[in-house]
Amino acid sequence: MRLFTARVTGNEEIMPKTHIITLDAGTNARMATPGRFIHIQCGGATLLRRPMSVYRAEDDTIELMIRNVGEGSGWITRRRPGDDLDCLGPLGRGFHLDRNARNLLMVGGGYGVAPLVGLAEQAVAQGMNVALAVGAATARYIFPSRLLPDAVEYLVATDDGSVGHAGFVTNLVPERLAWAEAVYACGPVPMMHALASIMWTQAPAKPGQIAMEERMGCAMGVCLGCCIETTKGPLRTCTEGPVFDIKQIVWRNEPTPVRAELGEPAGAVNGHR
Amino acid sequence: MAIVEGRTPPPQPSPTRGERVDDQPASQPTVDLHVEIGVNAKLPLVMKNPVMVASGTFGYGVEYARIIDIERLGAICSKGITDRPRRGNRGPRIVETPAGMLNAIGLQNIGIDKVIRQKAPIWARWGVPVVVNIAGDTVEEFAYMASRLEGVPGVAGIELNISCPNVWEGGRVVGEDASTVAAITDAVRVRTGLPIIVKLSPQVADLHGVAHAAEDSGADAISLINTFVGMVIDIRTATPVLSNVTGGLSGPAIRPLAVWLTYSVSQVVSIPVIGLGGIATVEDAVEFIEAGAAAVQVGTATFADPTTAVRIADELPAALARLGATSLADVVGRAHPARRARG
Repeated sequence: MRLFTARVTGNEEIMPKTHIITLDAGTNARMATPGRFIHIQCGGATLLRRPMSVYRAEDDTIELMIRNVGEGSGWITRRRPGDDLDCLGPLGRGFHLDRNARNLLMVGGGYGVAPLVGLAEQAVAQGMNVALAVGAATARYIFPSRLLPDAVEYLVATDDGSVGHAGFVTNLVPERLAWAEAVYACGPVPMMHALASIMWTQAPAKPGQIAMEERMGCAMGVCLGCCIETTKGPLRTCTEGPVFDIKQIVWRNEPTPVRAELGEPAGAVNGHR
Repeated sequence: MAIVEGRTPPPQPSPTRGERVDDQPASQPTVDLHVEIGVNAKLPLVMKNPVMVASGTFGYGVEYARIIDIERLGAICSKGITDRPRRGNRGPRIVETPAGMLNAIGLQNIGIDKVIRQKAPIWARWGVPVVVNIAGDTVEEFAYMASRLEGVPGVAGIELNISCPNVWEGGRVVGEDASTVAAITDAVRVRTGLPIIVKLSPQVADLHGVAHAAEDSGADAISLINTFVGMVIDIRTATPVLSNVTGGLSGPAIRPLAVWLTYSVSQVVSIPVIGLGGIATVEDAVEFIEAGAAAVQVGTATFADPTTAVRIADELPAALARLGATSLADVVGRAHPARRARG
């Protein structure tokens, strides 16, 4: 974890307002595992850095999947090859692949799919079976299957039924739960709460890891701005997370998620505005 | 703790472990930056430069020590601590605002026992003094914590957090009331030989009265300002973004307010005033110093750039030399009418 400057080497819009930003990050890329994040200084009128989840990393390259949901994330999606980014990271605890598990179920909501893609690649490379279920408001916001390894079984849900199951992505979970030996998830809090409820009632012993989203300040464990309630008391999303044991989270009744323009609550996995 | 005699220049800082702060300016102008807080205290707080980091923005110091050279700072103010550990508020606890941020952490901290057992021994090995920021609900709690910190190696001073806006019922802050401030300061003074810094809220009817109360009760310095209370509403749901409803506003948004209050209070008290509020550059620091600050604290800017305070400390000698100063004291309060009249 350190301060470093990364050079943008690619910027591809893979879905509306959703970009894969490729960075030359030198040796910093070696520590950029799925679930960890890079805290990036954005331009414009932003003050705080924005935490951006690692999408993939390979050699000296870090790829971020960023949706333009506000000033900071929008600024990053407008970077061009040759631009430099002021980065702090890689930070946080990422996903841990259980080497004894053979069948993995991954559940992604909206752009929460970002860290699961790199994780699925790693799992497939180790000979594991991966089913990846993703949900979005509508077909245009479903992560393109061409960017996934062929070996990944891809399950899709949309709110409007324009592709795949019509309804929440968590509706796809029960039929897969017995098959899976471990569950990994990232998405809006209501989605992960629903997943936790399903696992609690149907498979309470099954291991589950989820990447939580919370607004972040320093991302160094200092400001305590990103703490969430857990069975161990308040824990920092930036340092003790973002990946937590799903059974560790103390859920509360979230307000009914208000669907913003892009079908996400203005959240924090990819920047908090 | 070593007490620097006279006006000897500070030792050259050690090379940094961080990545971007490696390069010292090739030739440092010789400007005496050293500051003493509590010249009459048993153990004055001696700082090699006037650049401190503000409470709540630097944890217990150990976190940022991994990426910046903390030894180049004047002093570190710890996270606000209480007699017992506190869980803090539920999230969301922070939200960015134009040129600033709101926070409502709710004084989450590990409690004074763990601070003394786990953190102070680390601080004792550092060349940078650590000021412990303490908060309490009652005069007795402040007094208890001051007595616990007395004689603890690694603790170089006490900052009284009488102005945290997030934990008192109804948004009331204890520092509103001069008599309460006097009682707290008094109770701490009789229990400690450490320098006492009283951190003031800007949102009081009579700030001069509160400042005088602190000074008359034995404070060695005043730090100001703590945050302003504010709120942000999610207009789609018509609900406050922060679970605490309100939070403390910090960052460049409050800087002119902080400069004004530094300017105002530093002209009516004779103890040093430590200025803070939105400092992000060496020019900002100089502005506070000219307004009357004997030292400054960098807060929110550290979140955006962890090297901010170290960079300001490095750049300050040249910035003061450009003003024709040979010591920090030449510039403190330079904007005051009395100083300007003297020319």
